[in-house]
Amino acid sequence: MAQQANIGELLSMLDSPLLSVRDDVTTVFKENLNSDRGPMLVNTLVDYYLETNSQPVLHILTTLQEPHDKMDTDVIVLTTGVLVLITMLPMIPQSGKQHLHDFFDIFGRLSSWCLKKPGHVTEVYLVHLHASVYALFHRLYGMYPCNFVSFLRSHYSMKENLETFEEVVKPMMEHVRIHPELVTGSKDHELDPRRWKRLETHDVVIECAKISLDPTEASYEDGYSVSHQISARFPHRSADVSASSYVDTQNSYGNATSTPYSTSRLTLNTPGQLPQTLSSPSTRLLAEPPQATLWSPSAVCGMTTPPTSPGNVPPDLSHPYSKVFGTTAGGKGTPLGTPATSPPPAPPCHSDDCVHLSLPQATAPKKEERTDSARPCLHRQPHVPNDRGLEELHGGKGSVTLSDLPGFLGDLASEEDSIEKDKEEAAISKELSEITTADAEPLVPRGGFDSPFYRDSLPGCPRKTLSASSSTQGTSANPEPLNSSLDKSGPDTPKQAFTPIDLPCGGTGESPAGNRERQASLEASILTPSPCKIPPQRGVGFGSGQPPPYDHLFEVALPKTAHHFVSKKTEELLKKAKGSAEEDFTPSASPMEVLDRLIQQGADVHSKELNRLSLPSKSVDWTHFGGSPPSDEICTLRNQLLLLHNQLLYERFKRQQHALRNRRLLRKVIRASALEEHNAAMKDQLKLQEKDIQIWKISLQKEQARYNQLQEQRDTVVTQLHSQIRQLQHDREEFYNQSQELQTKLEDCRNMIAELRVELKKANSKVCHTELLLSQVSQKLSNSESVQQQMEFLNRQLLVLGEVNELYLEQLQNKHSDTTKEVEMMKAAYRKELEKNRSHVLQQNQRLDTCQKRILELESHLAKKDHLLLEQKKYLEDVKLQARGQLQAAESRYEAQKRITQVFELEILDLYGKLEKDGLLKKLEEQKPEAAEAAEERLDYCQDGCSDSVTGHNEEAPGRNGETKPSRPGGARGGGGGGGRGGGSSSELSTPEKPPNPRAGPFSSRWETVVGEPTSGTPTTVGSLPSSESFLGMKARELFRNKSESQCDEDGLTVGSLSETLKTELGKDSGVEARAPLTLDGPLLPAPKPDSVGQLRIMDYNEAQLEHS
Amino acid sequence: MTEDSQRNFRSVYYEKVGFRGVEEKKSLEILLKDDRLDIEKLCTFSQRFPLPSMYRALVWKVLLGILPPHHESHVQVMTYRKEQYSDVLHALKVIRFVSDATPQSEVYLYMHRLESGKLPRSPSFPLEPEDEVFLAIAKAMEEMVEDSVDCYWIMRCFVNQLNSKYRDTLPQLPKAFEQYLNLEDSRLLSHLKACCAVSTLPYELWFKKCFAGCLPESSLQRIWDKVVSGSCKILVFVAVEILLTFKIKVMALNSAEKITKFLENRSPLPLKNFDSSRGREQKCMRRSSCHRRLLPSE
Repeated sequence: MAQQANIGELLSMLDSPLLSVRDDVTTVFKENLNSDRGPMLVNTLVDYYLETNSQPVLHILTTLQEPHDKMDTDVIVLTTGVLVLITMLPMIPQSGKQHLHDFFDIFGRLSSWCLKKPGHVTEVYLVHLHASVYALFHRLYGMYPCNFVSFLRSHYSMKENLETFEEVVKPMMEHVRIHPELVTGSKDHELDPRRWKRLETHDVVIECAKISLDPTEASYEDGYSVSHQISARFPHRSADVSASSYVDTQNSYGNATSTPYSTSRLTLNTPGQLPQTLSSPSTRLLAEPPQATLWSPSAVCGMTTPPTSPGNVPPDLSHPYSKVFGTTAGGKGTPLGTPATSPPPAPPCHSDDCVHLSLPQATAPKKEERTDSARPCLHRQPHVPNDRGLEELHGGKGSVTLSDLPGFLGDLASEEDSIEKDKEEAAISKELSEITTADAEPLVPRGGFDSPFYRDSLPGCPRKTLSASSSTQGTSANPEPLNSSLDKSGPDTPKQAFTPIDLPCGGTGESPAGNRERQASLEASILTPSPCKIPPQRGVGFGSGQPPPYDHLFEVALPKTAHHFVSKKTEELLKKAKGSAEEDFTPSASPMEVLDRLIQQGADVHSKELNRLSLPSKSVDWTHFGGSPPSDEICTLRNQLLLLHNQLLYERFKRQQHALRNRRLLRKVIRASALEEHNAAMKDQLKLQEKDIQIWKISLQKEQARYNQLQEQRDTVVTQLHSQIRQLQHDREEFYNQSQELQTKLEDCRNMIAELRVELKKANSKVCHTELLLSQVSQKLSNSESVQQQMEFLNRQLLVLGEVNELYLEQLQNKHSDTTKEVEMMKAAYRKELEKNRSHVLQQNQRLDTCQKRILELESHLAKKDHLLLEQKKYLEDVKLQARGQLQAAESRYEAQKRITQVFELEILDLYGKLEKDGLLKKLEEQKPEAAEAAEERLDYCQDGCSDSVTGHNEEAPGRNGETKPSRPGGARGGGGGGGRGGGSSSELSTPEKPPNPRAGPFSSRWETVVGEPTSGTPTTVGSLPSSESFLGMKARELFRNKSESQCDEDGLTVGSLSETLKTELGKDSGVEARAPLTLDGPLLPAPKPDSVGQLRIMDYNEAQLEHS
Repeated sequence: MTEDSQRNFRSVYYEKVGFRGVEEKKSLEILLKDDRLDIEKLCTFSQRFPLPSMYRALVWKVLLGILPPHHESHVQVMTYRKEQYSDVLHALKVIRFVSDATPQSEVYLYMHRLESGKLPRSPSFPLEPEDEVFLAIAKAMEEMVEDSVDCYWIMRCFVNQLNSKYRDTLPQLPKAFEQYLNLEDSRLLSHLKACCAVSTLPYELWFKKCFAGCLPESSLQRIWDKVVSGSCKILVFVAVEILLTFKIKVMALNSAEKITKFLENRSPLPLKNFDSSRGREQKCMRRSSCHRRLLPSE
């Protein structure tokens, strides 16, 4: 203690303002720490730091070295730490991610620690630790599935960790679903701050709960249908509890609760458990039968398996628990087996210290036990107390009914008078029970069960008790195990129906889940006439006792669903309860359940013990029961208490989170309902407004109508006004026009005035002028007067002179009277003569006129005549023309006729020729050339004349022909016959002596065109003449010659030559050749001559004609 | 006044509006009603408008001098002509130059030859190129004029006109043809020149035979209307138009022989080209009249 005081001083010095002092103290501390390996100093430092928040201490702590920082063997600390970590993790999802691997590492280590148990840790602690590790597993898996899974993969792929995995981690994994993030997310995505930003702490907690299959942890809000599991789980748990190794302490209620469900345990075999169930039943079967009528061996064997324990695998893992209680049970052999755990009153010291100190002592016997205890022993153990438990069930708690409960509780309370809290609670519970008995029936139909606050009240109970216990711990220096155990028993009673762990979790989580549990518990209570009925009642009591302020809102918010749900669930559960034989269950219990059970059992044991023992006997000698030293026991209990406290805190944290969430959800609900109401209100308003609108519309229409009317009126007024205006304008215009007119008039008047003025001026001037004139005239007048006077004077003179003249005339007439007669006679004569002449002239003129007329007449006559003449001429012309046309036609006709006759003649001649040919042949024989010649000549002449007249040219050609060849031997003769060459030739030709071969004629005529050209090539022909003609000419000459120089010597030669030429020319013709010799013969030759000549001539003519054309 | 009243009073406006030859028949009838027919007017008319077929023979006969301008003497003259025809025919029959079996065109040929005094000695006498021309025209004329007397006379005078009146102008037509073709389509002409086909074109067919046997009678009649009325220039335009019509085909041909052959084988034009040839003929009429107006000397 002195040392402690010293330390306190030093610590106070550490905060001194002097640097040197602080450094000194720090060095002292460090040295001390280095030298002393105990945890004392460190603990002191930590405490101090927590108290003062002193920085130097923190500094010292952070620089701690080897021996001190390895303190993790303390389960309590570890559990506390882990729970803190779990609590913290959802709060710092983002900032905690850099330590993620540390967290994983913690998990890895702790899980292996659970298995290996490095220190001498009591199994009880381990349960706690395991539970916390399990929670950590959930949290890590829930928050960082990918990372965690990858860690697990890497960590447990190692050989040395395999066992841990198999034993610890794998069973944990049975209680989680596959995290959706494993499918959709990635490692990086998990650490994405955006993911966490959306979630609040309680959201994270719920998220983690969602993936859990553990009904104590799980959240059902997503509608994963775990209803079966839960309904199955709940009884299972209770059955488990009853079937666990603590059966002896527990069966008082365990049996009662488990009975209805024990059969359902049949199907509780999961792969992992199967071997156990198979192995264990043999012993169980024997042990269990007496337990209950409904008790089935299979249920027992299912129970024997410690599925909920972390060491799920039978021998070793179930070991810790069984050992813990087994040792106690086995070690004592008495009904007070539990007192083995009850420690003697511990000296007042820090719980940490106690744990620390007790650890080695507590572990030592355990190890021994472990080595000693064989398996059969382990299994045998339970049923010994079991039997006893059965007995107790009937005599003890088992017989406690609902009606009895208050009394029972009251008993309990009376037994534990010493503790005020307990008393209070007992009183409350009593009170409540009184209420509940009265209110139980009406409450149920009210649907109150669905409200989560029934459940909510329950966590309040353990909390209260817990706080009570803590307070007792805090206040009373000596921890009383009985007290604590009693504390536990308080909440324990309800736990028969719903475990404390379960309730806060599901109850606060949400109404349906809680509902279900509640319902399940209700079911249980309904079905079994056992104390189980109490919890709901109590729950109700608690709920009604302290109703949360927002309780009623749920009813308002979700009445239908709640009612529906309740009815459905009750029905379902009833069915299940009836046909519970077929119920199936989930595999293994979670560490949480194990822990629950541990606590329950601990509580049971304590309560039982306390029942037996007289409470006041605090000073009981614990050693009397043969257990471990009491100090150690107390320390263990304290530690357990601490652990429980931790657990409680953790649970409270969870509850808070749930409450938070609940509140939020509630707020949402409220908001939604408010919005709905608001909506409805808005709708009403809308309707009202619509009505208003309708009204407004109607009024608008009215207004419009009125407006229209007004407008019409206005229009009419406007039109009237317009018309008025128009009229006025018209008037105005009229006036204007009038004024214009007047003005023009005015101007006219002005002009007139001006004109008048001018005229006035003029008149004035005229007046002046006239005055002037007047003066002049007056002057003239005076002058004229004077002139008149003169004239009068002169007239008088004239008269005088006239008288004188008359006098003279009288004198004169008297003197010449006889001469005038003669003159008169003469005059008369002349006059007569003149008249005569005048009539004569008249006569002459008349004559002239007549003559002229006559001339005109004659002239017109003449013109007529001329015209007539012209017409006549024209007519004549016309007639002439006509006649000419006719004449032309006639002429042409005549021409044609002539041609025809020519043709005819030709034809006739031809025919004659033919005839004559024949005739000549005869004449030649008769030698009558004369007659023939005469006839020939006559014919020839006629022909000549004809031909001459028609074709003058024709004649010329031979004539020229003849003239051009005078040098020729026959030329002279030919020239001689120029006058009638044709005739001559014909006459000559007609001589019988000149017969060019009789065939030559036709021959040549045939050939004239064909052979003409070649013959023209001969030297005898004349180039200027047509070839045929030359040929003919040659022939004619030859003939001529023949005639003139008849029988000339050369004749035969020329003829021969000719014939030869012909022959050469036409040599090809064999026919000609054959006849040629004949032609050369003299007598034969002349006969065809005339014919040939005629032919030639005709040819000639033809040719001439052709040429002409 | 009577004549005018018979005429459609609108006829005055037809020409103003642009219709031509609407009242041709009427106006021709009016022309023919004159006693002493006005040859000049008839000439102008027949050059300007196509003659109605019912008056064609009469107009031709008048224009060719077969009938005098006086109606009075028509009958008498016609009897003369008929007698002459029958006499000549008779003579030919007498001298057995022709028989009933002799084709009419040959009969006409011999008659013509006889009348011109160039009758060959025998019917088997080979034909001269002139005779070929005559025969071609005769064949065409046969189709046009029904009455053989008329036919013979018209043909006779037509040929005589060709031989006398157009003797000098006909040989110049090929040159005129080239000239006008150059005006119309120099490319075609150059193509022809390049092929040396200009000289070998069927000028004889075109200008001597006056397209007899080359064009269908109905078209030929209209061309001959112009020829009869004194314009042989029409032949040139017809020829040019034929070439232009077959331009594409002619352009496709490369050698002179082919072109000549092609153009010669156009006779008579296939029936399907009849309408187009008709249109072409009208076109060339218009063109010819247009040219005539442009070149009044011709």
